[in-house]
Amino acid sequence: MDRYQYLLLMGSCVAVTLPLEFLFDARVWRRPLRTAQTLWPVVAVFYLWDAVAVARNHWWFSPTKTTGIVLPLGVPLEELVFFVVIPICALLTYEAVGNLLDPARRSTLVGGRLVRERAA
Amino acid sequence: MSREYAVLAVLAAVTVVVGELTWVRSGVFGDRGYRITMAICLFFMVLVNGWLTKLSDPIVLYAAAEKTPWRFPWDIPVEDYAFGFAMLTAVLMRWRVLGRRLEARPSVPTVAP
Repeated sequence: MDRYQYLLLMGSCVAVTLPLEFLFDARVWRRPLRTAQTLWPVVAVFYLWDAVAVARNHWWFSPTKTTGIVLPLGVPLEELVFFVVIPICALLTYEAVGNLLDPARRSTLVGGRLVRERAA
Repeated sequence: MSREYAVLAVLAAVTVVVGELTWVRSGVFGDRGYRITMAICLFFMVLVNGWLTKLSDPIVLYAAAEKTPWRFPWDIPVEDYAFGFAMLTAVLMRWRVLGRRLEARPSVPTVAP
């Protein structure tokens, strides 16, 4: 179980931020295309950075706390998951904060459901 | 002592700031929501990064020669803050730019409040 530690940490980040999607209507997971379009170039750059860092021994990973699954260019699976999960956490936070700062934006975005909520 | 990670981390952060101000112009730095988001992310980053880098039982290990000796708090290499700043700011810049593009497209149905 210990070798899933890094992945479990990433899983807990997903779990902790998931309520933002619904409680604050962040609408990140429900806009997969915009999310993917946002993420891919940034993920690509940081993936390459990781590949360089691994190749040049800037950092390395505990063999007992990672799965040992290595992707192209020597990047561990966990690192790719990190580059996807952490930005999604930030996007969820950003959208939730935006909705809290500007409730009008939120009701415009989702229409009827939140209008009813506000009227109640 | 080549401190390559330290150099790359500073370079990444500077590139993102210069890129935003001269090229992307997403307006992210003028956005209160961005600054609050980064403050919240910083708090959670310390928890997650602290767990990943704790020297007592680390998941990620760093070459001493490629970084500064500074770790704060706990055992988090200070370079990681520049790394995180660059990654999250770049993501939020793109999210804003793509959102602006979607709003500008008249075919997107909008729901009246």
